[in-house]
Amino acid sequence: MEYIGHGGKKLVERVITDKNEALNKIKGLTSVPVRRQLATEAISLSYGFFSPLEGFMTKADVDAVCKNMTLADGTVWSIPIVFDISDKEIADYGIKVGSSILLTYEGNPLAVFEIEDIFTYDRAAWSQAVYGTTDEKHPGVKRTLDYKDKFLGGKITLVNPPKFNPPFDQYWLTPKQHRDKFAEKGWKRIVAHQTRNVPHSGHEWLMKHAWMATHGDLSMEETEQGKAITGVLVNAIIGEKRVGDYIDQAIILAQDALRKYGYFRDDVHMTSFTLWDMRYAGPKEAVHHAIIRTNLGLTHHMFGRDHAGVGTYYGAYDAHRIFNTIPKDKLGITPIFVVEWLYCPHCGEVTCTALCNHKKEWQGFSGTVIRSIIMDGVKPPRLIFRPEVFDIVMECADKYGFGSPFVTPEYLEKGQQAFRIDPL
Amino acid sequence: MAETYPINIWINEERFAKLQKAGLDGLTQDAFAGLKKLPVPNTMDQVQRLLKLYPKAKFDSATTKTIELLPRDVKDEIFDMVVASGKIDIMEDFLKKHGA
Repeated sequence: MEYIGHGGKKLVERVITDKNEALNKIKGLTSVPVRRQLATEAISLSYGFFSPLEGFMTKADVDAVCKNMTLADGTVWSIPIVFDISDKEIADYGIKVGSSILLTYEGNPLAVFEIEDIFTYDRAAWSQAVYGTTDEKHPGVKRTLDYKDKFLGGKITLVNPPKFNPPFDQYWLTPKQHRDKFAEKGWKRIVAHQTRNVPHSGHEWLMKHAWMATHGDLSMEETEQGKAITGVLVNAIIGEKRVGDYIDQAIILAQDALRKYGYFRDDVHMTSFTLWDMRYAGPKEAVHHAIIRTNLGLTHHMFGRDHAGVGTYYGAYDAHRIFNTIPKDKLGITPIFVVEWLYCPHCGEVTCTALCNHKKEWQGFSGTVIRSIIMDGVKPPRLIFRPEVFDIVMECADKYGFGSPFVTPEYLEKGQQAFRIDPL
Repeated sequence: MAETYPINIWINEERFAKLQKAGLDGLTQDAFAGLKKLPVPNTMDQVQRLLKLYPKAKFDSATTKTIELLPRDVKDEIFDMVVASGKIDIMEDFLKKHGA
């Protein structure tokens, strides 16, 4: 199978799996420890989640992203992928253009970084271009302003693949493995459901809507025979957590529970995840998600109201409109725009704002409302939150969350991460 | 009547029993085919003061126009104030009690 990724370019995979080859590759290199975010981005770069990027961006790429929403070669790209470092670290480790360093994570070898560029960038201009604001209260802007003095650009090669801890090990697939899995299932069209949440029935209906829109004009015969040719991939974002978020284990297991307990058929639904710290860049992040899912081999991507937004920085449909500005041949994935689903007591069901006309009776609900109900010690009714999903969330609280399904300071300190890097 | 932005206190059996005992169960509203909630009203000024007091709480401006994610003990205290005072409009007293 030929693996073609975003921009029509060959899917990147820069991973050494042979231990001796890896040991030879890192011999004599200076070790530079990295924090979790950089480790996850090095992993994602190496496996091709960010194809056609082969490593952290050089200044030319960052500049093109900020000014044109492209890479330097003209490929559509919306969010800089950078490696920040202090002047002191550059001096202490003797980092120079043309040299290579060994990135380590939690004391073990992770990846080789070939340094091609050392640069600074105007962070206010970057923030304005990517986030549409320079307000430090915006989490993406804050992250940008908090980066260290300089940035290193260059190719990354993973020398020590991550090991995923349960339950994440059941759901980890590289971009190539995603594509192989889709081929095995016989899926011709696959729509992505981007999430960082436990699913309520509004999410479930968004996925059902997206499946139908994606399947569109394809034959229903195979589906009737139990061998669907269109699938929904729930691709959860696993990354930085804040107190009050659902714990990652609950997110991934609760999403899969929708299939496991029959709310979706086995042949139409699948769950996996991508390691990524949300930037909350609204429309620009929507484009980034579309790029990642193109690399995973998906054909369609669902975008809801205020996709990847935060606060009131973006309009409800900004993340839909941005796709009208990108020529169709520049992005190999079709956006599926979906509207809000809610409970209508008149209809006696969960329905959607685009169809139901009992507006005065609507009872809207969101992930936040469900969280509030659970925090009050109340079990949400099955029409808005599936009982099996509730049970899984509560099991995860006991098993992984120190008694809470939500991130607590204790979980941040002692909770098990999705992955680890073992000694080489 | 000016628009209000409620804190929805979700009613479990224990809370419902307390409301019944205080003769306040009529203040609850049905929601989502099977739940009961006690909507405690706030003005926008009270919303802002409350969010300063509990920065982890969230005003859901997009979907429900309600205040969500208040810690359980805070909602317990608000609920107890409603039951003790026999009225729903208690947020000014609550905020003053907490110096907000």
